[in-house]
Amino acid sequence: MTTLLDVRHLSKKFVSGGGPFRPVRSMHAVNDVSFSVDTGRVVGVVGESGCGKSTLARLVLRLIEPSSGDVQFEDLDLLAQKPKPMRALRARMQMVFQDPYSAIDPRYTIRNAVTEPFQVQGVRQTASEADDKTAELLSMVGLSEQLAGSYPHQLSGGQKQRVGIARALALNPALLVLDEPTASLDVSVQAQIISLLEKLRDELNLTYIFISHDLSLVKYFCDEILVMYLGRVVEALPSTDAAARHPYTRTLLDSTFDPDPKLRRTIEPLGGEVPSPFDLPPGCAFAARCPVATEKCRTELPVLRADDGHPVACHHPL
Amino acid sequence: MTMLSVQDLGVSIGPIAPLSGVSFQLERGEIIGIVGESGSGKSLTAMGIMGLLPLIGGQIDHGTVEFDGIELTGLSENEYRKLRGGRIGLITQNPMTSLDPLKKIGPQVDAVSRLHLGLDRAGAKARTVELLGDLRIPEPASIYHLYPHQMSGGMKQRIVIAMALGADPDLLIADEPTTALDVTVQAQIIRLLGDLVKQRDLSLVLITHDMSVVAQTCDKVMVMYAGTAVERGPVQDIFDNPKHPYTKALIGCIPHGLSETVRLKGIEGTVPGVAQYPSGCRFHPRCTIAEEVCTRNVPVFETGAKRAAACHFALEAAQ
Repeated sequence: MTTLLDVRHLSKKFVSGGGPFRPVRSMHAVNDVSFSVDTGRVVGVVGESGCGKSTLARLVLRLIEPSSGDVQFEDLDLLAQKPKPMRALRARMQMVFQDPYSAIDPRYTIRNAVTEPFQVQGVRQTASEADDKTAELLSMVGLSEQLAGSYPHQLSGGQKQRVGIARALALNPALLVLDEPTASLDVSVQAQIISLLEKLRDELNLTYIFISHDLSLVKYFCDEILVMYLGRVVEALPSTDAAARHPYTRTLLDSTFDPDPKLRRTIEPLGGEVPSPFDLPPGCAFAARCPVATEKCRTELPVLRADDGHPVACHHPL
Repeated sequence: MTMLSVQDLGVSIGPIAPLSGVSFQLERGEIIGIVGESGSGKSLTAMGIMGLLPLIGGQIDHGTVEFDGIELTGLSENEYRKLRGGRIGLITQNPMTSLDPLKKIGPQVDAVSRLHLGLDRAGAKARTVELLGDLRIPEPASIYHLYPHQMSGGMKQRIVIAMALGADPDLLIADEPTTALDVTVQAQIIRLLGDLVKQRDLSLVLITHDMSVVAQTCDKVMVMYAGTAVERGPVQDIFDNPKHPYTKALIGCIPHGLSETVRLKGIEGTVPGVAQYPSGCRFHPRCTIAEEVCTRNVPVFETGAKRAAACHFALEAAQ
């Protein structure tokens, strides 16, 4: 297997405040994150709101500039690319957004929306070529080509998300970053979209980074899982049935409900609150809520260590 | 003892009829889950019970809603006001918008017991602090003086629950109480609601789109689709042996994250909008076993029985 994407020590610092009455404060939305993605794999990124999942997605595609770190994509140093080659490279890496309602220009027809990537890349198309390409892309995502002349408001949420996927596929990318692609959809439509993504991955040999807060969906869809807490990867599960070794991952799993009344569990309440990202403790960020934390956890930051191919950032892994 | 009995409830808003054929019963100490996708009529059902339909220009068209022996459908606004927030508490979806951002949270919770229980200022404050403690809010006496923006989402949802409990209700209606929250917080709030029902012998109507939440908490379930009820029954039975093809398909749409490896099957097509409800059974255009009769005749949803499925071809027990 070849490595498609290799991320090393990636960080993004945001600064807020400034001015006469507001002190400058800074936070690391993404902090020293390293991982790699092999061609054809589906890597899930899970975590609660504010943990830095979406910032990580945008950094990986260089939609925002990182504060430090390296991103290698297809053996190219992504962060060293000048604007023109960067634009050409973007054809290989695309994103599908959470909200299909705002991801498509309401004044574009579906045909315009799915052929816009070609204009951005400077690919000239005749009208009939564009028609053919539109029909091909729409059929790839299971939409009727008769929708080509429609506007987004005439489509349902699920159909719009299919258009979002068609648009991302237009330029034959190798990598798709899916940022909560089903979070605004009903479950019956979510299942349709997930099956579509599975089918497309097999047909087009795509690689996915799948960002979600829904752990059961991630376990279902992904090959490996990164668990994030307050900007850091705390555990990288090498497979979906690997046992959780970080207490936070354990907590996340325990908080996920099974859709089966026979498997009812008593939820142990998790104490404490998520610390402010502006004022992180010196040690492990999860220490204040962790049932097995010791003095060491509160003072010394655990690093992500992979002794046996299962990286975990914890002084006392389970 | 039956706490809430809804019989063939139908709602109209002007010329359209977005909700019809909703029937269920809820005993004291029980939790019923009302589950369905968006546009299925879950929230309209809650608004119908709470007498809040005039807010959106709607009214109850037919059917009855009986709460602890009191018929609610004919009540005047003044009579309803005494019940709402009093014997019937409401927990709304978004804790970010159900609190007044300009007031400290303590006095907001006080208002409920002052109005409904007639407590004085000191009495109401003592009651609020006690309630906050019951909801496992740390240091309730100092939390009392915070503003909503100083609290996390999960904490705010606890405050909303405290307000719903302010006047010792018999019935709680929770409309997607955890949808806006993270999974770990959701798990805590769901556990809290379950404990409250046990400790206070409440009845709870839990409205959700999440079948997993239903599976973990409810005693019985009513499944809704496109503005009507399609199936009702005890929770275990609904999951083991769904009789309506929609219920069965809906269960097939949820990943069994932890037990797993059943492939997900979506349901072809989309939920029809209010103006485009199909004739006959509203699920027939998406149903895999629909026949000609389904396009013509509306299937009957039995009102009395424990178990009911509005389907001409109700599925037999899975072997």
